Amino acid sequence: MGEETEIVGRILGTEDATPLLFWVAIAPGQHLQLDDVIAVDRIMPTGETITAYGVVGQVRARHEGAKFQSDVFMIADGRLPAEVSEAAEIQLTRVVPETFVPPLPGEPVRKATDSERDVALDFADVERRLPAGLSRENEPIYLDLDFVDGTKGAHVNISGISGVATKTSYATFLLYSIFNSGVLGASATNTKGLIFNVKGEDLLFLDHDNTSLTPDQRARYGFLDLEPHPFTSVGIMAPPRPGDPNATPQTGARQVGVEPYFWTIAEFCEQGLLPFLFADAEDERQQYTIVVRSVTEQLRRCARTGDTSDGAVSINGVRVRTFEKLVEVIEDILIPEDPDDYVDAKWSGRAVGGGTINAFVRRLSGSTKYMSQLIRADVNNATRYQLDLDKNQLTVVDIHQLHDRAKRFVVGVVLQQAFAAKEASGVADPLQFIVLDELNKYAPRDSSSPIKEILLDVAERGRSLGIILIGAQQTASEVERRIVANSAVRVVGRLDSAEAGREQYGFLPGLQRQRATILKPGSMYLAQPRLPVPLLVEFPFPAWATRSSEANLAGTIDHKSLGTKDMSDPFDEVQ
Amino acid sequence: MRFAVEAWSPEYGVSGDESQLDEHAEPVDLDVEVAAKSWEPIRASTLDTIERVVFVDGVRRIDARIWVDDGGQSRQGVCASVAAGAVVCTPQKATVTEVAVFRGFFTQPLEKAENIQTKHGDYVYVPCASDRPEDIYLGIHDQMTSLETSLQVESSEADPKGESDGGDLIVFDGPLRGRNSPNSVGYVKTQHVQYLPDSHQPILGRLSAGERTPLFHIGGRFGRYSWYLRLPSEQTHPLAGIVRCEVAAVGPPSEAIALAVRTSGVLPWYGSEPHKDSRAPQNLYPIAGLENQLRHRLGDPLVLERALRNAAS
Repeated sequence: MGEETEIVGRILGTEDATPLLFWVAIAPGQHLQLDDVIAVDRIMPTGETITAYGVVGQVRARHEGAKFQSDVFMIADGRLPAEVSEAAEIQLTRVVPETFVPPLPGEPVRKATDSERDVALDFADVERRLPAGLSRENEPIYLDLDFVDGTKGAHVNISGISGVATKTSYATFLLYSIFNSGVLGASATNTKGLIFNVKGEDLLFLDHDNTSLTPDQRARYGFLDLEPHPFTSVGIMAPPRPGDPNATPQTGARQVGVEPYFWTIAEFCEQGLLPFLFADAEDERQQYTIVVRSVTEQLRRCARTGDTSDGAVSINGVRVRTFEKLVEVIEDILIPEDPDDYVDAKWSGRAVGGGTINAFVRRLSGSTKYMSQLIRADVNNATRYQLDLDKNQLTVVDIHQLHDRAKRFVVGVVLQQAFAAKEASGVADPLQFIVLDELNKYAPRDSSSPIKEILLDVAERGRSLGIILIGAQQTASEVERRIVANSAVRVVGRLDSAEAGREQYGFLPGLQRQRATILKPGSMYLAQPRLPVPLLVEFPFPAWATRSSEANLAGTIDHKSLGTKDMSDPFDEVQ
Repeated sequence: MRFAVEAWSPEYGVSGDESQLDEHAEPVDLDVEVAAKSWEPIRASTLDTIERVVFVDGVRRIDARIWVDDGGQSRQGVCASVAAGAVVCTPQKATVTEVAVFRGFFTQPLEKAENIQTKHGDYVYVPCASDRPEDIYLGIHDQMTSLETSLQVESSEADPKGESDGGDLIVFDGPLRGRNSPNSVGYVKTQHVQYLPDSHQPILGRLSAGERTPLFHIGGRFGRYSWYLRLPSEQTHPLAGIVRCEVAAVGPPSEAIALAVRTSGVLPWYGSEPHKDSRAPQNLYPIAGLENQLRHRLGDPLVLERALRNAAS
């Protein structure tokens, strides 16, 4: 900040300068562009210097001296004298010391660079800086880890259009940064991540080098003090192939290092997972939820009282090894062959009519074909296929080929298990990060379900338990408000223009909203509690493969025979 | 020096009218370019390219009327701001190159009169012939003219391409009133005085757009060659779009004729249109643009008046 600092402009006097928003006239030969960081001083009567920092939110240029629109032609013809004037709107990021006075018209404005930029963007006082991306000039942009790990706040929410917003890529980048930047210190090794793979086989190759990573993009990791390499400790879990008695995982391009996951009948009964089969089981208006509760209780009783060492459960003397069988047994109990027979009220619940029981049975048997590969005890050593989130640092749970009902079941159950484990341990450390896309499917704005309850629990209590949700969705407006509201960090990729106008994006000032509709892949708006203005960040191209075509699989896979689509690379523009 | 600022708004009282500046009853000689009996409209040669032209103009404004205490006697005075500037027009860009601002305190010669110092600059004491409004007006106008003359108008030596021969055309807004620098043309927008005899006056009505009359000589204090030119416009009356140009009669008539040819070729290009300028087409675009900037540079009249009142108290 020496005397020689170049002046890029001066505070405008023809527009109101306010403490939070002011305009800078750009000096001839200088320029300011969107997202530039600037600083301006004001000397108070006491002699104290107050420095206001801000980012450029808008830049405009106009002819001074022109009255009519057509004057521009005469100005270009050399018939009318006029000057081109440029001005930039500055959105305040900080004022040091905190005295909210407007900068005075005429005061010289300088670009904030290096250490002053850190002060301007409030990185300087952050003890634990989590690299969150780069500015367009490849300067690092940080998040305060205190607002991610639950110390002061937790959870990240990412919105944006599918395909171009690169939500999942950014989520994996954040995870990578959390694991590898050293910001967590020694506890980084024990910190765990869980990602649900909801689309294609995109996330099944996180442990492979990305063959599309260019040297330029590789170099960008250096600006963040990160090494570009794939995730090291990754467990890939996929559901078993339907109808396969050996429960081999159902994956296409990736065949090696994938483990199947499913729940045994015993776990299903013991842990009371039945409600997760019913998307609306928590909805009190539904009569049949009484039946769900009763049956869940009875199944749990059966599992606890009988032998479950092989994963099977005996119900009323029948050994149940498959989900079909389970459904059959429950049906037999609830709907006796002789209509005059008495239905066990322990199973049906008290004073429940036949119609309600039928509604339950209809829904239950409707789920059979989607669930049978996930809930079973017909495999040798069935109990060893439990999901273990602690085995690897990063666990990828593939659900992309599952039916919606099965997806909800898996997500709900996995979240509940993670939550229960954390509740049992009673300490937040080590942290468990959970990446879940399509939040609108699991926690929709206007309905209730067991999964939504779990997600709400995570959002509201996860902070103290050390469960951090990195949630993503196309449209935040369709997601339960409390989940978005509880996220300390909001990230926005490219938005649909109708969506960008919704109140959920109130943290984006008008111009940023407009710009969010044209963000290119690899660019996001990052809003964090320390700064009143969201920052535009770019993140480096993933160093880990985000699809089979990017992974070096040594030609072992024939993409055509697998029917995998050769998708256009959403990062094309970045390279 | 003690003085007070008149409470009335400065618009009242001293009035200025350009017609006071016009010279009357000066001898006119029509036989300069062609013989008086064969006067016909002359079509201006069409130009392939528009050459570099410099327009010079000035503006003035009365900021306050004041009363000066002259040993018990109250004397009238006027505080006025004048500005002069030049705009250089090339086919690519019109640029205001020179602007000078002068603030003066105009009154009759007074023993104790001195400059008035205000927060926003000094009003320099300028003695006028008397405190009659006409004399004060002339005093202000003379300041403006000398400010215009003092501008360092770029000559073609500074033009690296040297495209124009014999220097840039310099067009002064208003009569030349004795200015005789080379290539200078006075440009008179309004016609208060009839210079041509009645026998020749109708030729003005016959001029088509871009046509001019032959040169004629105007005698008197400032001898000059002059001609009329019609700018392109809707011809609602015989004198619509007519302007009068003049050059100082210092060189031979052939030089003046050459200048008339150049000027008449150039000026129609800069003529304004009625929906953009209330004085179209005579108020040329560059001059209108320059005047806007100059008026702006005069400063905010309310701020200046307040500064004068503060200085008076």
